[in-house]
Parts: sequence; C-alpha cells; structure tokens
Amino acid sequence: MSLLPYDISGITLLYVEDEADARTMVSKMLVLNYPKLKLLSAENGAVGLELYREHSPDLVVTDINMPVMDGIRMAREIKAINPEAIIMAVTAHSDTSYLLSAIEIGIHYYILKPVNYEELFSVTDKILEQIVLKQVVADVNLRIVESQMQLAMAQRIAHLGSWQRDLGDGSMNWSDELYRIFGFEPGALTASYQAFLDMFVPDDREAIKQAIREAVENREPVAPHFCRIVRPDGTQRVLRVEAEVLLDGTGIPSMMYGTSHDVTELKQAEERIRLLTGDLERQVIQRTSLLQATVRELENFSYVVSHDLRAPVARLEGFCQALVEDCQGCSNRSCTQYAQRAQQVVRQVKHIIDAFNNLSHYARCSMVIDEVDLSAVARAIATAFQQSEPERRVEFAINEGVAVKGDRRLLQIALEHLLGNAWKFTSRRDAARIEFGQMNEGEGRVFFVRDNGAGFDMKYVNKLFKPFQTIHSPGEYTWDGTAIGLATVHSIILRHGGRIWAEGEVDRGATFYFTLSPNPEPGSFLEDVSSL
Amino acid sequence: MSEPCILLVEDNADDAFLASRIVKKVCNERIVVVRDGEEALDLLAQMEQDGSHTLVRLVLLDLKLPKLSGLDVLKTIRRSPQLRDLPVVVLTSSDNDLDQERCRELGVIDYIFKPMTAERLQLALSEGERSRPAFSG
Repeated sequence: MSLLPYDISGITLLYVEDEADARTMVSKMLVLNYPKLKLLSAENGAVGLELYREHSPDLVVTDINMPVMDGIRMAREIKAINPEAIIMAVTAHSDTSYLLSAIEIGIHYYILKPVNYEELFSVTDKILEQIVLKQVVADVNLRIVESQMQLAMAQRIAHLGSWQRDLGDGSMNWSDELYRIFGFEPGALTASYQAFLDMFVPDDREAIKQAIREAVENREPVAPHFCRIVRPDGTQRVLRVEAEVLLDGTGIPSMMYGTSHDVTELKQAEERIRLLTGDLERQVIQRTSLLQATVRELENFSYVVSHDLRAPVARLEGFCQALVEDCQGCSNRSCTQYAQRAQQVVRQVKHIIDAFNNLSHYARCSMVIDEVDLSAVARAIATAFQQSEPERRVEFAINEGVAVKGDRRLLQIALEHLLGNAWKFTSRRDAARIEFGQMNEGEGRVFFVRDNGAGFDMKYVNKLFKPFQTIHSPGEYTWDGTAIGLATVHSIILRHGGRIWAEGEVDRGATFYFTLSPNPEPGSFLEDVSSL
Repeated sequence: MSEPCILLVEDNADDAFLASRIVKKVCNERIVVVRDGEEALDLLAQMEQDGSHTLVRLVLLDLKLPKLSGLDVLKTIRRSPQLRDLPVVVLTSSDNDLDQERCRELGVIDYIFKPMTAERLQLALSEGERSRPAFSG
C-alpha cells in the first residue's frame, strides 16, 4: 500500500477491462493500494462511457482492445464530454498500432500488459498527486477570489478605499473603491502619488503630504487626518486618511499602506449635532434668563405684597381695633359685631400674606443638601401632633430608615404639611391610622403619606396642589386660613427634582406620593442663573 | 418746651393718628409728631441745644421714612453723647428679620409690629423709665 502524502478521498477511478480475471485482479489490487479511492469498473467501452457520464470520474484506466466499444473510441467520446479528462491506457504489445491515435486523442499515460503493479501504482500515484494539487489550487483560487470580492464589497459598503505606495519605485496602487471615492471609475486614470495628492483641496494637500513625509522619516504610522477632496463633478467630500509604513529586512521603509475613508456624511451629522447643541445652549441661556426675569418680577411682586401691603393692612387692623374699643359703649350692638368681624377678616388677610411670602420663599431660598433621616423627622412631627391633642387616638406607622438627600428644613416643612393634613382629616375617625413609608418603583423610590381619613373625590385631584384652593367646604374641617400647605409641599418637592401626586376616595382616606432626585442641586437656581 | 413729651416719627397720617390714639389712652404726655427722619434729627438737635431733649419720655420711630430712614435716625441718636440714652421704640409693618436684629443691636426698648396696642406701649414706657434713672420727669 502506497502512503500518499495527500488526501485522495473523494477521487473516483473508472477501470475498464473486458477480461474478467484481469479486471478482478487489478480492481482488487487498486482497492488494496488505494483504500480511500472510489473505484468503478466496466467490462467494455460502452459500459465505461455510460459510467463516465453518470459519475464523471477523475481518472479513467482502460484496456484498448475490447468488444462492443474499444478503449480508443471510448476515450474519444469521453474527451468530447470533458477535454480535461485524464485517461491511462493499459495496452498489450500488439496494441501499439493504436498508440498514435491514442496520443492524438489525449491519452497521456499508458502502461504495458501484463500489468506490472509497481508501474501501475507509480503512474497512478503521479496522476493522483496532480489531481489533488489541481483541486488544492482550485480551492485556494476560489478562496482568493471570494475574499477579494468580500474586501471589495466591504470597501464599497463602508466607503473605505485603500492604497499602497511603493517607496522604492514610487508607484502607487488604488483599490476600486478609492477610485469611486475620488469620483472615477476603477482604473480610469493611472494611480500615482501625485494624482493621489492632487485629489485634495490645496489647504489639506500640504498637511497630508507633510504627514506622509514625516511618517516615512520617523517610521511611524500616519495619524488619522481629515482632509477634503474635490471630485471631477465639483462635489466636495471629507476623507479620513490613515497609513502605516512597512520596513524591509534592513529597516528601511519600503511600502506604505493606507486607507481613505469617506466620512462626509458622518462629518455632516457631526456638524448638525454641533449646530443643534449650540442652538440648544443658546436656547437654554435665553430661556433661563427669561425665567430669571420672570422670577425677579415675581420676587418684586412678593416684595410688594409682603411690604407695601403689610402697612395698609396693619393700618386697617389698627382702625378695626379702635372701632372695637370705641364701640363698646355703643347702643347699636351690630357696630361692635361688625368691627369684630372686620378684625377677623384683617387677620385672615395677614395670614394669607404670610403664607404667600413663605411659599415664594420656599420656592427660591438657597438649599443646603444633607443626608436627612425622613423617618426621624416624621416621628418627631407625629410626637408633636400627639402632644398637641393628647385626647386623640391615632396610630402612626412610620417606616424605619428612610434616608434621603435634601434640604433638611424644607423637607421637614413638606412632611409637616403632609402629616398635618393627615392629622386634620382623620380627626373624625375613631381608629385613625397615618402611615409614612417608601416603596421601590421602576423610577426609583416613591415616598408616601397615607391616612384613613376623609379622603377626597378624585375629580378634584388637580386642585389639590394649587395655592389658595380648598376642596373642603367651610366648617367641614378647621381651616388654617390659607389653603397653601400642599402648594408649599409641591414647591419643595419640585425643588428636590421630584414630583408629587395623590390618590383618594371620599371617606376612604388619601395617599400622597412623592419622589426626590437622588442628588438634588444645592443653592438656588436664581444664583445659578446670575452666574451664567 | 418745658413739659415731658412723646416724640412720634411717622410719615403716614393714618398711622400717626392710630399711634397718637393709643398714646392718649395710656398717658397724658404731649405728642410731638414729625414726618420724616431729617425733621426728626433737626428737632432733636434743637432740643439738645436747649436741653429739652431730657423731656422726651419715648421716641416712637417708624422705620420706613422719607429722606432719612428710621434706622439712620436711630444710629445718629446712638452716636450722639447727649442723645444716646433716649428710649426708642420701633414701630413697623415690615417683617424684615435683619431690620429687627440691627435695631435690637442698637438698643431699642421694643420692636413693635403695627398696630401698637396700649399694653405694649405701657410696658415700653415703664421700661423707658427704668433705663433712664437720671430722667427728672
């Protein structure tokens, strides 16, 4: 058995011989020597031709003198089907007259009968080696063609052209895509370094030329350069040019390989983003100053309310007081009563001014951000309420360990209002229960204050957080005179980057939910604005 | 001027009326009303010259005044060697904490939010007596 240094599995051999004994013997020897070979055998040319048509064997070994169809005719027919077919003739000395026509037909190999197996195997080995080598070359070629196609496609899709420049003879090679990027059909002009440089706009040409020169001198890669080219049709494109220097065995730069990536669209998008960002920044500055102006107006307004309005209100209070005192001896009892009621009204006005002042103060005062233990704050507030009305039985359920970042003073005021509402609206419950806690929702932590008190109709939910709005009728619950508590809470939560909402049902209690930013901004946005 | 008096520095006629009414309820002292800070200082300077400043039992001083503010008047009084012991009560309708703080620092007997009550004025008068033992009354 010959040990071939290559794989012959998948190769088919057709053996045609009319003498049964010889056919059996040679077939056996072939199978023994080439166990991986696929062997077909036929008793004459006609059957052999039939098998050839069916199986396209890689090698045909045939006798010449056979009945029905001789080897020469069969070989001619096979060559007609496949001119590349490899045929080996096994001839007797008496068949030499056929030799000339055999050579003419294209039978390149022959051995003499009786078969000398060593000779047969030696010739077969050579043929098999050729067949295998042909297959290998064909495979490699196919792969080369495939990867070339792949590279060309990739370059085309990515708009990435490549080039190489021989630093010895100065010649240059461009990929098809590089031609297209330059605005030419592949091969439409002779690739040269000068032609390459000429593509770039003059301003960028010098830069890329210098970068390439320095790269060769320093034996370093050309760092990415963004350069503009002008196509023959006048359109301008932006290329990202990069290159590397290859050194020969002695360390001398011999070749330069580079890429030129058409990044025009990318650059345009970048430019659009830059413009948009600039626009956005301008808008932010514009709107912030608009906001600042509005807030300043509001500040002015609240100054007017708190100072200029206070003086006449105090005057009114003084006159009411004078009326109450001086009417004591009056015979008309309505006088005193009216004076007293007027005095009450003045007090309400003062309350509203104070509340308004507080509200605008909480909305713009400077915040100091600390770790705040909301549980402890809530507990202290609950204790204060219980001490203020010890006769009331209210169960407080306060979650432990609710720690947040925020302005301690403002958060305390917010909780005072929320728990204060709960305290007030559970005043008619025998088993009042007030809860404070936190839940983990998708958007982060949600804090809540829940009570089982009077609740409210959800159709009024939008009025809840507006100042000077109340959804309870006079006399229903003790009125604090301002109805500004929830508006204050709203303002404080907003300043902590959170939001607040409520759920309720008449006689089934209310729940107020709020969120807080994990990192609220300290200070006041007024200060930030002025520093812009 | 030979009788004790109460000096009221107040630009608003209604406020002046209300304060005078309370003063009349509490004591029989003559009330001298001036309408702005400058007028107040001019009068005090004149009193200082003829020595009648010692007859002023109490200065009721509004803060928001034309020309010179109440605070400026108070500062000038405290700087003057003759006048600095004058008992001063501030009357205001502003809730400015800073004003209150500065007035307290400058030694006022009381800082009263308008309208003033008779009780509060009574207390201020008594306190004024105590703070000026040298006052001959």
